[in-house]
Amino acid sequence: MAEPLISTATVGHIFGPYDVTISAERAHAYATAVGGDESPDYGDSLAPILVVAAALTKLIEDLGLYSAGLQTIHAGQEVSWSRQVKIGEQVEATAKLAANSIRRGNHFATVAVSYTDASGVEIGTSSTTIIVSGEAAS
Amino acid sequence: MTTNNVNRAVGDQLAGFERQISQDRVNAYAEASGDHNPIHLDESYAATTQFGTRIAHGMLSLALVTEMLATSFPNTWHSGGKLKVRFSAPVFPGETVVVYGEITSVSDSDDGLIATCSIGCKKPDGTDAVAGRATVPLE
Repeated sequence: MAEPLISTATVGHIFGPYDVTISAERAHAYATAVGGDESPDYGDSLAPILVVAAALTKLIEDLGLYSAGLQTIHAGQEVSWSRQVKIGEQVEATAKLAANSIRRGNHFATVAVSYTDASGVEIGTSSTTIIVSGEAAS
Repeated sequence: MTTNNVNRAVGDQLAGFERQISQDRVNAYAEASGDHNPIHLDESYAATTQFGTRIAHGMLSLALVTEMLATSFPNTWHSGGKLKVRFSAPVFPGETVVVYGEITSVSDSDDGLIATCSIGCKKPDGTDAVAGRATVPLE
């Protein structure tokens, strides 16, 4: 099995950019997953947290964290957003490894992500902290 | 729903709610996010993990918290809102969680009034699955 990238990537490593454009189908699935009587009406816009989740999924794939034998804990999350995003609007996410250390055999990694629209303007940021344990992590 | 944000004050409760996290919701969230990790979807695989059964995506619990923020601050949450949370415990499909929030301070800044809120999502036993804080422009 190839060594997961989390084991070798150094701080400053860039991931992406990822296309995190959210289709109407995925927006509908999101509404099914989280919706209720008191949910806000987003109209033709998205909950930005779905864009963050889509980027996180791609990032975890790239880090090799779906490898057998690894257990990944999503420990922390930061998000900031500056404007509404439309369903189907092009959004790109670029991630940078901001921290990556080993303590007691576990990897502690923080990845900072910038989200940009079709004009290249930053519309949001996020930061994800994960803890990875397992044989391949140490 | 509160739309007059400027009148919000310290101690105001946000529009919290209860939600049962069914496996159907978890499955739908996997489609939405693209995160098909078997720990969320495959019971036989999940049985081999430290949790012993499937768990909901942590981001699903956080999504519920942001639903509350979007309802409580409909004009401003998506245009200047920030949050920082920790994931403290997994939510298991079938559990009903309580999403909560409270304004803990209101301050003036160069960008106008900003509310700081304690936010989170509690499991049925009262422990936090997600907890942290959010800052939201009030105008």
